[in-house]
Amino acid sequence: MDHFPTSWGRPRNEAYDAFNTYPLHQRPNHSKDVFADGVQRTQQPIVTGTSVLALTYKDGIMMAADNLASYGSLARFKSIQRLHAVGNSTVLGASGDMSDYQYIQTLLDELVIDEFTANDKHDLGPAEIHEYLSRVLYSRRSKMNPLWNSLLVGGKKNGKRFLAYVDLLGTTYSASTIATGYGAHIAIPLLRKAIEGRENTLTEAEARSILTEAMRVLFYRDARSLDKFQIATVNDEGVSISETITLETAWGFAEGIRGYGAQTQ
Amino acid sequence: MPDGSFAHPQQRHFNPYTENGGTILAIAGADFSVIAGDTRQSEGYSIQTRYAPKVFRLTDRAVLAVNGFAADGNMFVKKVKQRLEWYRHAHAKDMPLRAIARLIQTMLYAQRFFPYYVYNILGGIEEDGKYHTSLPSYSTAFPPHPLSRVHWIKREWKCGPKVLVANTFRLLVQLGSGAVYSFDPVGSYEREACRAAGAAQSLVQPFLDNQIYFKNQTAPAGQSHPTHLPLQDVLSIVIDSFTSATERHIEVGDGLEMYVVLAKGRSPQGLESIAGIQEVTTKSDSDRVFVIRRELKKD
Amino acid sequence: MISLQAHTLLMVESSRQGLLSLEIENSGTAIGLRVKDGIVLAVEKLIHSKLLIPEANRRIQSVDKHIGMATAGYQADGRILANRARDEALSYRSSNRAPPPLQDVVMRLSLYVQAYTLYSSVRPFGCSTIIGSLDSSGPALYIVEPSGIAYGYHGAAVGKGRQLAKTELEKLKLSELSTREAVIEAARIIYLVHDDNKEKEFELEMSWIGDETDGIHLPVPKDLLEEAEQKAKDALENFE
Repeated sequence: MDHFPTSWGRPRNEAYDAFNTYPLHQRPNHSKDVFADGVQRTQQPIVTGTSVLALTYKDGIMMAADNLASYGSLARFKSIQRLHAVGNSTVLGASGDMSDYQYIQTLLDELVIDEFTANDKHDLGPAEIHEYLSRVLYSRRSKMNPLWNSLLVGGKKNGKRFLAYVDLLGTTYSASTIATGYGAHIAIPLLRKAIEGRENTLTEAEARSILTEAMRVLFYRDARSLDKFQIATVNDEGVSISETITLETAWGFAEGIRGYGAQTQ
Repeated sequence: MPDGSFAHPQQRHFNPYTENGGTILAIAGADFSVIAGDTRQSEGYSIQTRYAPKVFRLTDRAVLAVNGFAADGNMFVKKVKQRLEWYRHAHAKDMPLRAIARLIQTMLYAQRFFPYYVYNILGGIEEDGKYHTSLPSYSTAFPPHPLSRVHWIKREWKCGPKVLVANTFRLLVQLGSGAVYSFDPVGSYEREACRAAGAAQSLVQPFLDNQIYFKNQTAPAGQSHPTHLPLQDVLSIVIDSFTSATERHIEVGDGLEMYVVLAKGRSPQGLESIAGIQEVTTKSDSDRVFVIRRELKKD
Repeated sequence: MISLQAHTLLMVESSRQGLLSLEIENSGTAIGLRVKDGIVLAVEKLIHSKLLIPEANRRIQSVDKHIGMATAGYQADGRILANRARDEALSYRSSNRAPPPLQDVVMRLSLYVQAYTLYSSVRPFGCSTIIGSLDSSGPALYIVEPSGIAYGYHGAAVGKGRQLAKTELEKLKLSELSTREAVIEAARIIYLVHDDNKEKEFELEMSWIGDETDGIHLPVPKDLLEEAEQKAKDALENFE
């Protein structure tokens, strides 16, 4: 940027026609915002969270995300929470840029307080929160200044379950089981097999074990994942986000693999 | 840096678009239109969902199918619906189909330099069907067929240089006709008898050319091809188009949604016997809209 | 030496403020109790027409999750103040990413109220505000007056019956009361200060912030409200 104060907010000398060589309307227009190259926009995520998984079951929806925020390939923060309750019928799960996610959290917290103080017997359910987020993310992508996240919004209100996705492009969709990031490739086939057609019979315990198993597979396969994760459930009792769960894993098989464990020859 | 990697400031560019697969098509009949789309939404090799509608009822005589970048598509449909609602508030009637088509053009072209990455197909009933006139006395004795749109018009006679405006009125009877408009992402549009768009356009359009326009078909001696097919035949062609596209294109499948718009007063032409058909018309005494849903292969 | 012009202005201003304070003094009583583990707000909402919908035109409003306020005087002005307080609370949140302490909100709100006493183009607010909160540092209770002055209190009363209400509040051991007990006392005081002979009917409006509400400012639940009203009526009979 041009740090010379006299250049700020007025044409540079070569663009300024001091001797009125040209009539006003023919003057070459060199006008340029000298601050333009100082404006920074998110062009890539920095501190990131990996997959979020979610499914619908008999009494509501369930969501899981691990506790890791990576800095590139560095496991930078190992006890962050990526599941967030919004009001008392919605949960938000975030992957992608964690600073953008924190910004979204503040947006939502403001929204919820606004709604609370209005005290008009209306409150925002998961469908409204999802619509709001899709508008925010789509408008930011349209300004070429995206919020670099893939978000899952789940909840239950007035007996209706809701689960939907929205990402940095403003793309939205709804399904009985959804996963973001790497999970969309690795966990979704497992989840679809376990859930599709059983949305109304699956118990909470079954749903929990399906999600845990999917998280375990992801921990084995996704190099940006962690063995510590949380599960959020939304049912008629409201939102509850579990304490951190640590996955049981077995690496004994690796011993026999050449190039993996300690090699003797 | 010797490798030149820092020679220029690097900036990876944010790409505000993606492709979400799927296919849409629409066919116009003499007094009906069929507008259809599959319900799969995908990105790359991932199926995001098996049910994301791409076909939307706009009014009781207009249905819009959108295909391409889903976020743009949903936002575009939302804005078109909003404009149609404003029109209703201002004029106390639904916007005519050709006006919706022009509206869609201007809305798309307004985004010429940051386009909605969406292919649109608009189908429905146009108010330009055949006219036939009849004398008022005749029409009192025999009320107009309920399918007709009725207009009173002032008749003019040219008598030399003068134009004589007579007080005699005539009854003008107009029939609605099936219409399809197709658009490119920046608003180029034309009225057609049929159009396919989206991922499997290159598979479906040649099939429609053959079956609807009778391209590469020779009529039997002394006979000619029909200008319009009956509804049942059109529905069969639509279903065949999508089952075939599902077989050969990975981004097509899961579910099929077919909207049928029927001109006012026309007989249902066997629609009522179709399994699972659902009427979504909002008013009585108007053109009618139906939805037919079918499963497609999910692999 | 004060100039004649300034003197006239002050006269005009004081008579104008006199009218406004009259409005507050004739308004239904509002009280606030700051007790051991929370806050109770109670309002004697005078019903000027039988055609009004019950529970409409609330005089207790929420400012933030943990902050509530009750007003006496012009209701319209009360709503303006509540909106301003909400904006201030939200602005504190966006700078500090934490729920605002009541003192901060009150300081900003009283600054706003005070500004309306300074210019000939605006009139001061025609309402007194009782504002209370509960946070990690405990309960807090303030009155913001139209002059812009704000004091903290253990027990607060504004409106028509404030003198009697204050006498009653002074009798209570406020710092030993639980919030639930305070609800009963607040209802009793409102019923006590209401003048049956002169007044129109009234509606008891109450809210609380305490451990029982998880630190959130909420209307007192129906069953507790009914219990408190019944006890208030009983106490009134014994009193007389």
